[in-house]
Amino acid sequence: MTSYAEPREKPKLGRPSEADLRLKNNRLGMTIFQLSWIMAFVAMIIVNWQLRFSYSEWPPAGVAPFDPLLPSSATLALLLSAFLVRRGVEAQRSGHLIGFTMCWRGAMALGVAFMAVIIYEFVNVSAAAMATQYGITMRLMTGFHFVHALAIVAVLLHVYRKGSRGHYSSDSWALEGAAKLWYFVTLAWMLFYVVLYWIR
Amino acid sequence: MATIAVPLGAEAEEQVADAVKRPALSEYLRWSVDHKIIGVQYGIASFIFFIVGGAMAMLIRLELWSPDLDLMVSGAAYNSLFTIHGTIMIFLFIIPMWAAFGNFVVPLQLGAKDMAFPWLNAFAFWLIPPAAIVVLLGYFVSPAEAGWTSYPPLSTLFSGDGQTLWALGAHLLGISSIMGSINFIVTIFNMRPPEMTVWRMPLLCWAVLATSIIAVMATPFLAGALTLLLLDRVAGTTFFDAAGGGDVLLWQNIFWFYSHPAVYIMVLPGMGVLSEVLAIHSRKPVFGYRMVGLSSMGIAFVGFTVWAHHMFTSLQPELRIPFMITTMIIAVPTGIKMFSWLGTIWGGKIRFTSAMLFALGFLSLFVIGGITGVMLAALPFDIHVHDTYFVVSHFHFVLFGGSVFAIYAALYHWFPKITGRMMNERLGVIHFVFTYLGFLFTFFPMHIVGMLGMPRRVAVYDARFTDWNQFISFSAFVLGFSTFIVIYNIIRSYYRGPIAGANPWRALTLEWQTTSPPPPTNFVDDPIPFEEPYGYGTAASAAYLEAVDEAFGRDDPSQ
Repeated sequence: MTSYAEPREKPKLGRPSEADLRLKNNRLGMTIFQLSWIMAFVAMIIVNWQLRFSYSEWPPAGVAPFDPLLPSSATLALLLSAFLVRRGVEAQRSGHLIGFTMCWRGAMALGVAFMAVIIYEFVNVSAAAMATQYGITMRLMTGFHFVHALAIVAVLLHVYRKGSRGHYSSDSWALEGAAKLWYFVTLAWMLFYVVLYWIR
Repeated sequence: MATIAVPLGAEAEEQVADAVKRPALSEYLRWSVDHKIIGVQYGIASFIFFIVGGAMAMLIRLELWSPDLDLMVSGAAYNSLFTIHGTIMIFLFIIPMWAAFGNFVVPLQLGAKDMAFPWLNAFAFWLIPPAAIVVLLGYFVSPAEAGWTSYPPLSTLFSGDGQTLWALGAHLLGISSIMGSINFIVTIFNMRPPEMTVWRMPLLCWAVLATSIIAVMATPFLAGALTLLLLDRVAGTTFFDAAGGGDVLLWQNIFWFYSHPAVYIMVLPGMGVLSEVLAIHSRKPVFGYRMVGLSSMGIAFVGFTVWAHHMFTSLQPELRIPFMITTMIIAVPTGIKMFSWLGTIWGGKIRFTSAMLFALGFLSLFVIGGITGVMLAALPFDIHVHDTYFVVSHFHFVLFGGSVFAIYAALYHWFPKITGRMMNERLGVIHFVFTYLGFLFTFFPMHIVGMLGMPRRVAVYDARFTDWNQFISFSAFVLGFSTFIVIYNIIRSYYRGPIAGANPWRALTLEWQTTSPPPPTNFVDDPIPFEEPYGYGTAASAAYLEAVDEAFGRDDPSQ
């Protein structure tokens, strides 16, 4: 983890200081990563979409559609969690360490609740659905997303533990980067959520 | 003009050589975050894979010497041989080899101290050896037999466990490629000196930028496809099995959505190299600089719209014509480059260095590969030569005649910068002659046997093709032999080559405005780029080069 505590160098004419350049690089790198890796989720959506053509109707005949109630609440929890992550970063920026810890605790709790619902949904796909691509692609997509959510919740937790001890300065990249990863998880889920539960 | 402050002075060449020590060879075996070390690590690793993959090609040609099975115990053994040949050459040789030159040259051309994310850079490289071990292990355990394209159901129902390892290894290589490409894009956007606008960027940087954009946007599709393949093989899903509601065309769509853009990942940096080498060694500005930069972007963009031309025989018929049209359109930006190269060398003061010879070799061979590409884009012709040696010939013309010739041009061109010593030009010319003739007589006759109907990917063929195949195999052995010349040249020149000096080619781009090899921070002071990267033949450029000579000591062994 890079420390941003060192004093900034005096910028030379026309060239950004080392610290500014590093922040600029991190931000652009994160944006490109998000644009890039969302394509893996888009690929999964295309898989789902192409496999629908193997069937005359979707969900296939004899398979009950997934109940969107529980996943919708989980989606709301995830959105709220992303919002809290944002609030937490803002609080830390303005020096409110308590605000940061409260927001991020809430965000992580909501994130874990979201993942619990996803596990429940993943386990409870009916046998009839699993006999068709309707169930198989659902498990593919939720499972693929879950792996990312799990990894990034671990990142949030790691950054939270350091951040709650005041490890980061107010212009730290670590919090911003972790938050942006969590937005990525949120956006990726929104795409999947719409495709899985609403596009019939 | 140039304000390059390096406290060396116009002293004797030994002093210049002593001023910058080459890294010890053991440095290259260790974790290092220096982009120059990482570049050489990429280069050496991928060159080793080139030799391994080349040895496999020799075995393939030996098997095809006679129409019957002789070297191979079975057709399946032959299948796994060409599968691993293709996999090594694409994933472990060409793609990482461009990461080698990109890593070494791009930060220097931008006047940067290192890449934007040095640690990530090293990590991306160190993913390659384990990935290679996994892939090669698969070959010895229970080899994949489905070709490098791994079409199901060949790759799900017929291939051994090596196919699973193949998919795991390819997954790692894809992740490495994405990380490397993010690094290149951020470096190119953020690390340029303030004087260097995008329109003053060297064309290799343009090409690497376009390549990296393709890699970050397309490689996740490979990851998706490989995930499905792994699940089908290991977890019992049926994505590619029609009996379970799956679709075999699903693989072809997702895989080619990555792998067609990936052919531009393999050739675009070579096109960038060509613009550099042709301009520098014919002492002329690049003809139509802006259009060349934009045509790289054009190829990157149009490259995403053509994937289904690999599926002309399996696609829904009504989709064929649109893909035929987009495929033909991609010849336009490629043609722009072709004419730019011809315009660049036209009337130039050409020096036939080894780098220049290989660049001219690329020019002549790639145009053949490009034209057969347009032929294959034409649907009726494609169906006629589908899965014949015509296709084999086409993609070797663009990947060997294109990429590998550009890799050799880049090697001869930047070797002095990398090691501080010149390569032997006489050996370089001999290497070029053997490579060029060996290549041409290996792959050009394949067009003919392909049109006569010899199918690809078979060990046993009709006896009437025997003469052709013996001629092809003989030429292939000449081509294989030519590689030993360059290996000898590299080793000999590394120890005994003449000292190169800072700027042996008298080039204007920034990588030459520092010592050879560059110091760990690349430049002693922030370098100032010349107003035009290829502004040769003006009084201002002569003054700039004069200033560089004064700063680093005049040293021009090529004269």
